[in-house]
Amino acid sequence: MAPNSRKTIAYTEDDLLQWEALIQGPEGTPFEGGIFPAELKFPKDYPLAPPTMKFLGEIFHPNVYPSGLVCISILHPPGDDPNHYEHASERWSPIQSVEKILISVMSMLAEPNDESPANVEAAKMWRDRRAEYEQKVRDGVRRMLGL
Amino acid sequence: MADEQISLPSLILIVVIGGLVVRYLFFSSPSPASQQQPRDAASAARTREAAVERIQQMFPQLDRRTILWDLQRTGGSISATTERVLSGRIETPPVTFQPPSPPRTPANAASATTRSQQQKPAIPKSTEPDLITRYNLQSRINDSPASAENGGSVDAKGKAWSSNRDERQSALQRRRDEMIIAARRKMEAKIAAERAGAGSQ
Repeated sequence: MAPNSRKTIAYTEDDLLQWEALIQGPEGTPFEGGIFPAELKFPKDYPLAPPTMKFLGEIFHPNVYPSGLVCISILHPPGDDPNHYEHASERWSPIQSVEKILISVMSMLAEPNDESPANVEAAKMWRDRRAEYEQKVRDGVRRMLGL
Repeated sequence: MADEQISLPSLILIVVIGGLVVRYLFFSSPSPASQQQPRDAASAARTREAAVERIQQMFPQLDRRTILWDLQRTGGSISATTERVLSGRIETPPVTFQPPSPPRTPANAASATTRSQQQKPAIPKSTEPDLITRYNLQSRINDSPASAENGGSVDAKGKAWSSNRDERQSALQRRRDEMIIAARRKMEAKIAAERAGAGSQ
């Protein structure tokens, strides 16, 4: 709810456990100029358990499932990763905040992590055919703005 | 005499058990086996395909061959293979491993077509509502930038955290709309500039 920066705002007061946020594509990336609505859902036992974040529009990114669900370490439940990919410090803990999640998502947009891709097709394209990936993302950004 | 009386029932027992064992080993096993062999192969193939499909749903990055190889090693246990994938212990199959080909049954073909039908709407789904239609901004797209600035000043007034819930909500919504429209304008200008650049070349 609290508008925290010019890059992102979150709002919707109807339900405190469900927020909607707009994320601005970071500059210097193919997402630049784009606006991406996302939905943050908080579990009943927040802040012990992390919220989930889902992009509401189309977004082509290695760490976003085709359904729009965001897969980043800060949104993963606290404790050690059973796969030993992530440190406990990277994962969710009650001292994290929504602002940090949004910042993490911004940096995720700028720097995809292809170690554990959520969208395999996007990860492959990002790795092997970067120009095509960037073009596809740019096209998606324009479509989102109705252009 | 007493010895004989005791040993006779036990002798009969031994003969009966021996007869059953012989019958089980030599007579009973071949006949059901000949009936079960083809049915077993078919049902094994079916369970195998079901297992492969389930694992592939969980881990779409794995190919069929790897899954089949691991399933063979774990004795067809889905949970064991899942465990191995999750802990990163899955191995690439050796080149000599020939996976059984997927059965071409009508049911399979039908599921394949339903899958392609499911995928088809998924593609237009991704191109569905853009932000303008999503938030009903069509009427505001062509507003002049001046009126947008006007709106901005109203927004600035409303920015002070209002105590009224509805006011807060509408202020935030206005901010949202403005953010989208500003981004769209910027992108429009960028596209126009690109076109002009392409035209002059």
